[in-house]
Amino acid sequence: MTATALPRADSVDVMLLLEGTFPYVSGGVSSWVNQIVRGFPEYRFGAVFLGSRPEDYGDMRYALPDNFVHLEVHHVQDVHEPPAAASHRGDAKAFALNATLHETLRAARTAQGGGAPAGAGELLRSMVPMLADGEPLSERAFLYSERSWEFVTDQYRRFCTDPSFVDYFWTVRIMHAPIWMLARIARSLIPAKCYHSISTGYAGLLGAMLRQRTGRRLLLSEHGIYTKERKIDLFQSTWIADNRGVFDKDPSQVAYFRDTWVRFFETLGRMCYDASDRIVALYETNRLRQIADGAPPERTTNVANGINLPRLAALRERRGDDPPPVLCLIGRVVPIKDVKTFIRAMRTVVDRLPGAEGWIAGPEDEDPAYAEECRSIAAGLGLQDSVKFLGFQKIDDILPKVGLVVLSSISEALPLVLLEGFAAGVPAVATDVGSCRQLIHGLPGDDAAIGAAGDVVRIADPEALAGAALRLLTDPDAWRAAQAAGIRRVESLYTQDMMFGRYRELYEWALQDPKGAAPGEGWTGGA
Amino acid sequence: MAGIGFELRRLLQRDSLLSLLRAYGFAGVISSGPWVLSIIGMLAIGFMSVGVVVPDALVTQFQVTVTYLIAASLILTGFFQLAFTRFVADRLFERRRDVILSNYHGVLWVVAALSGALGAAAAALLFPEQSIAYRMLGVAGFVLLSLIWIATVFLSGMKQYMTIVWLYLLGYGATVGFAVWLRPHGLEGLLAGFVAGQLLLFSGMQAMIVRDFPSPRFVSFECFHERLRYPTLAWIGLLFNLGVWIDKFVFWAWPPTSQAVIGPLRASIIYDLPVFLAYLSIIPGMAVFLVRIETDFVEHYDGFYGAVRGGGSLQLIERHRNGMVATVRTGLFEMIKIQSIAVLLLFVAGERLLAWLGISDLYLPLLYVQVIAAGLQVLFLSVLTVYFYLDKRRVVLGLCGLFVVANALLTGLSLQLGPQAFGYGFALSLLLCVTVGFVALARSFSRLEYSTFMLQ
Repeated sequence: MTATALPRADSVDVMLLLEGTFPYVSGGVSSWVNQIVRGFPEYRFGAVFLGSRPEDYGDMRYALPDNFVHLEVHHVQDVHEPPAAASHRGDAKAFALNATLHETLRAARTAQGGGAPAGAGELLRSMVPMLADGEPLSERAFLYSERSWEFVTDQYRRFCTDPSFVDYFWTVRIMHAPIWMLARIARSLIPAKCYHSISTGYAGLLGAMLRQRTGRRLLLSEHGIYTKERKIDLFQSTWIADNRGVFDKDPSQVAYFRDTWVRFFETLGRMCYDASDRIVALYETNRLRQIADGAPPERTTNVANGINLPRLAALRERRGDDPPPVLCLIGRVVPIKDVKTFIRAMRTVVDRLPGAEGWIAGPEDEDPAYAEECRSIAAGLGLQDSVKFLGFQKIDDILPKVGLVVLSSISEALPLVLLEGFAAGVPAVATDVGSCRQLIHGLPGDDAAIGAAGDVVRIADPEALAGAALRLLTDPDAWRAAQAAGIRRVESLYTQDMMFGRYRELYEWALQDPKGAAPGEGWTGGA
Repeated sequence: MAGIGFELRRLLQRDSLLSLLRAYGFAGVISSGPWVLSIIGMLAIGFMSVGVVVPDALVTQFQVTVTYLIAASLILTGFFQLAFTRFVADRLFERRRDVILSNYHGVLWVVAALSGALGAAAAALLFPEQSIAYRMLGVAGFVLLSLIWIATVFLSGMKQYMTIVWLYLLGYGATVGFAVWLRPHGLEGLLAGFVAGQLLLFSGMQAMIVRDFPSPRFVSFECFHERLRYPTLAWIGLLFNLGVWIDKFVFWAWPPTSQAVIGPLRASIIYDLPVFLAYLSIIPGMAVFLVRIETDFVEHYDGFYGAVRGGGSLQLIERHRNGMVATVRTGLFEMIKIQSIAVLLLFVAGERLLAWLGISDLYLPLLYVQVIAAGLQVLFLSVLTVYFYLDKRRVVLGLCGLFVVANALLTGLSLQLGPQAFGYGFALSLLLCVTVGFVALARSFSRLEYSTFMLQ
């Protein structure tokens, strides 16, 4: 990764805050960022990319769009030379503010049902300028001052339930270390008319600092829920120390330091929600979770991903009226997609509907061992002829030949493949994860009145999956009703034009100078 | 004196008065043995030669020459002693025993070259009227003493405390023997005896070292590498030894209190003898200091850093910190008590002691002050040792610098004030350093966790 190739500008319209995604990492979120930037050629975009360490990233995975005019790259875990150690007392007022901030955030977290940290925004506004070198809350003050030590030991005495002080001390140091770097970025960043963060976390905190520093509006779009994903990472990581002895260790209780990290990221999330003018979720379940995590409900909204409708609608011409007896799982062959459940369901389907086929369309190179297991399960069930591993396929080629899109995943957000299937006239059977229920049955109200575009079943239940698929494939009227519902739902709610329309409304408002208005104030758009 | 704690604790564990006495006796012998033996040896040669070597002035010339050699070699090697001790300790900690001997030889070469060059220059330029034999023996003695101090540091680093004591006993026994044997040859004979004895002492040490510490390389200068050397420790060693001697130099240089003895060497009869006698009174203080530091203090010290590194709670860390403070406090109080007893005994018996040694009782007031000063020097040494444990080398450097300056200025002032103030310069400068050391130590201990975690 070389710094020479990065585009630079003096100012931008929209400054994106990207943590571990576009343009250095490929995936759903990165593609979405690419789609948005290309969808608004009239705006000049810039971005701050926050990565973990330089060695974790290779070359750019995307060609930068022409209206993407500024990019700077920073790494939060990059070991920078700390300032020289020098003992000093520390500023009483600044550390009192710091104590109040921590109290406020703690109170917000422990309050019933979450809630916004009242006053935290004000505190942060007064504290962020103090983070600069030579100011009372500089990195030097954090690392070496006596008051900093007094604060850390006081917190340890009051709250830490793990005996190891040295681990507590370093956990606190390491998790706070990026804050001064973010403050430096916030101070030196080129002017922007508004900021758009694609996650909470460190990017979200940077967004909050920029909102308070510049007074320009901050949009937050969350695809997954950062705090939840961080939690999964942290529970899987083994490097976080757990020093409880055999007898005082309650296995049902997470290790204190993991909990500390989780609370830290939850708190970053709260600070970002508190500073954001609009908070966008992909679908309703996630929006409710944001509110539970402290997002002010009146600032939240859903903007679903949108698909390119004309291109996919054209595929409907290429299919017959009756459903072909083909079930297709479109996705990478990896454990999270639970391909094995799909294969087991195929046994029942083939028993009841001889001639039916199960296709698995997706690359197998990510987890070859898992792919091999899937193949041997298929062989063991005598499905060599009816379950086909197709490798990566273009959806335009296979959707016209498919009767049902199947999704057996144990985790999803808003799977585009369901929407793409609907648009091409293919109903779906999916597990009840992420937004799948919303996509198939619709949200209560007008959406649900459209009808079901297939069926939703429990995860890891091959019998239920097979049963739902057979009901649709063996009853052409029911299948055609589901097909019609899918087409209507995707056309009325999930097109790319609608997504751009919603974001146009958001950007047009966010680009205006809020003239000192508090976050979220003066929203002129719809719900 | 790291590592001695195990032996002391073993002796103390038997929990009887006798075992307690043995532990303190052991500590007294290993902490004071070498220099007590050297002082006694020199006094013995003097006593045995008075009346045999004629005129008496030759004996004085011999004693003064050796005193200068000892002072100069201690100050010169002070630059290497602590820094090399630290080098040895670090390599032992890394379990790299094999590199220690070759570096010891490296230091020996450097010290030999340095002391040889300085000694030869001094002999050539400053002693034009003395015999060639005197000058050559002086240079040889200077080089040998310097090498012996380094060998002593090495053996201490290797925890061979009893070996050191036995070798000094043997070496100074032989020195006295050779000197008595060669005294018919006058000043040169006494000096030749001294040099022969020192040569035997150094050879014995070297033989033990080469026998017990095999090394694949003979000589290495790794310890002088920028990465591995400790300039602060070098300056501390130099300043401490300079501080200990500077009041003597001032007395020697001040005409009313001194007389020319041989060549440019001057001595102060009224000052020197009480000083050396007073040093004999600190044996019990040194023993108490060693036992307290190496047993109770080290236990809490290890507990403290063990808890810091091994994930102990802050409460446990603080408990060990308080334990360290308590043992330092107890140790210092015990040393004050035991030194007070030594002072009181001397106040009672001093007059008779001087009479027995054939010294005029005009020396008595100075002896009293010097005994108190020597006791303060033990306290000062123990404060510095605690600081070495805490690895606060800059504070030690500051205290040693203060010691040099205060001792020089206050001793100079005492000379202006007249004979009734003699000795107070040394005593007051130590009192000042001990007081400053105590205050600084209290502050360091109260900030120990903060500085351990936040400033490293």
